[in-house]
Amino acid sequence: MDTSTEEPTTPAAAPAAEPEWRGRSEPFQVGDPGRAASRVVPVPDPEGWDRRDTVLDGVALMDDAKKPIGEVRAASVRGLSHRAYGTVRQDEYSFRRTRDGRYLVIGVADGVSAGKLSHKAAIVAARKGAELIAKALSGPDPLAPDNFPWPDLVRAVAGRIERLGRERLTAMGNAAASTMSVREVAGHIATTVLYAVVDLTPVGGAHAVHLLSVGDTSAWVLRDGGRWEPQDAVKNDGADLHSSSVHALPLPPAVDPKPVRTTVAAGEALVLMTDGIGDPLGHGTGAVGRFLADVWSGPPASGLEFAAHVGFARKSFDDDRTAVAFWPTSRA
Amino acid sequence: MESEKAKLLPFYLVIDVSASMTGDKLEQANAIMPAVVDALSDAPILSDKVRFGVIDFGTDALVRLPLCDLLDEHVTLPPLNVRGATSYAAAFRLLRDEIESNVKQLKADGFQVHRPAVFFISDGEPTDRDADWRDAFRDLTENFPTYPNVVPCGVDAANPKTMASLIYPASGPKAMQMYLMDHGQNPADAIAMIAEILISSMLASGQSMAQGSSGLILPAKQDLPAGISAHSSDDFV
Repeated sequence: MDTSTEEPTTPAAAPAAEPEWRGRSEPFQVGDPGRAASRVVPVPDPEGWDRRDTVLDGVALMDDAKKPIGEVRAASVRGLSHRAYGTVRQDEYSFRRTRDGRYLVIGVADGVSAGKLSHKAAIVAARKGAELIAKALSGPDPLAPDNFPWPDLVRAVAGRIERLGRERLTAMGNAAASTMSVREVAGHIATTVLYAVVDLTPVGGAHAVHLLSVGDTSAWVLRDGGRWEPQDAVKNDGADLHSSSVHALPLPPAVDPKPVRTTVAAGEALVLMTDGIGDPLGHGTGAVGRFLADVWSGPPASGLEFAAHVGFARKSFDDDRTAVAFWPTSRA
Repeated sequence: MESEKAKLLPFYLVIDVSASMTGDKLEQANAIMPAVVDALSDAPILSDKVRFGVIDFGTDALVRLPLCDLLDEHVTLPPLNVRGATSYAAAFRLLRDEIESNVKQLKADGFQVHRPAVFFISDGEPTDRDADWRDAFRDLTENFPTYPNVVPCGVDAANPKTMASLIYPASGPKAMQMYLMDHGQNPADAIAMIAEILISSMLASGQSMAQGSSGLILPAKQDLPAGISAHSSDDFV
């Protein structure tokens, strides 16, 4: 409050009062933000009161000597169209470190929009999948990422989604739920998923990364100099007209998905993302690529800041967005 | 060029302005574009993605509103006026050229383009030779990889059989429908109702894009305004 009018005796000499608060929150925009970014009125999903609009994390992973190994930032943000039409966020992420501390396991899942229960598939795929991987990597008879039985893992996750789908559909009064085909179940509940296993013990400064993807969720390494390096094929490349069809669990992949191996070193970042952010990123050579390369050249200060980056406004990109990123810390 | 690709949904209104479309009918035809603008103004998710274009046809066909973002401040809505005969062939040929060049341009500009949707409104029989307009229609649909989904809408003296042959795709999971004015209905009112159907299918398609589908969604039969009925291609043989 400006008090100068109440103290006419000391008109000019009063020093500016120290503000009692500071800081600001302003959405990021890349190019034309579109009308939706400012005009959408978010409404709740009447069947999803316990499904959060946005979730986020920002943590450091330490070694035994309490020295940082790397930083993790993660955010899953409900898309503008889901906010406008009152639908829950269908993306999900999960990450965990194996009990022995050796590996970071990340799961990022994108529930298929057409299925009303798909957010539940995404939750199972991200959380349960990451949990199963972490257990197998650090149990009494631990497996190594190099010979990890990915097809078994994918089948196990698909089986859990299928079972959950039949249970939920039965509970909703669908009499055919226990006998319908997997394809029919997938019409109600389906998700794409991407897993990463990061070896937290670097070799020659680089962390080995194993990636396994079912569907169009993509993994990138942000290389030195802001270059986005895709770790698999970019979707819809060369397609004549846009198509929304994707491979999704619980449907078994036509061929066993092949793991991709890469490395990430200090000064670089591994980023797993759903197509809500992968689509506007494209090949990483446009404005969105430059924006994210800039703000993610190092780990953002907090999970909140990372979530604000993930939620940037850009015309017509209104899907759910989820990203999980890992920045190795320089050990020099 | 940006490599990232925004998704667009092109809508074309192709409307008959032959001599019979005078008076109230023309007035209602001219009310369609402002009604679409109003609907888009209230639908920010959709208005970021829809591109709208208008072709009218009489003796010839003209692009009256090149495919555009209707809410763009530089857009002026053109007045429709009647002129001459009813050449379906001219309309189909021009529409094909427009779709081909529009889609090519949008893709060059870095957009992903959903299959275009066409609302074709006529109040009478084609005046060109049967073989002519049928050939032109085949070139717009079967012989065209970026063929549009065609929704014919007939009012007044439009022939149901002729209109039914313009439904495309006519069968399969993504089959379209046509809308016909009920017998004895005021044709001007029927045009206003068709505008409502166009708008609600635009809104529904926007919502279905949000749900991961990329098809054109037409209103359910029970949701149609009274005075209009929906038909599939096998309703008239």
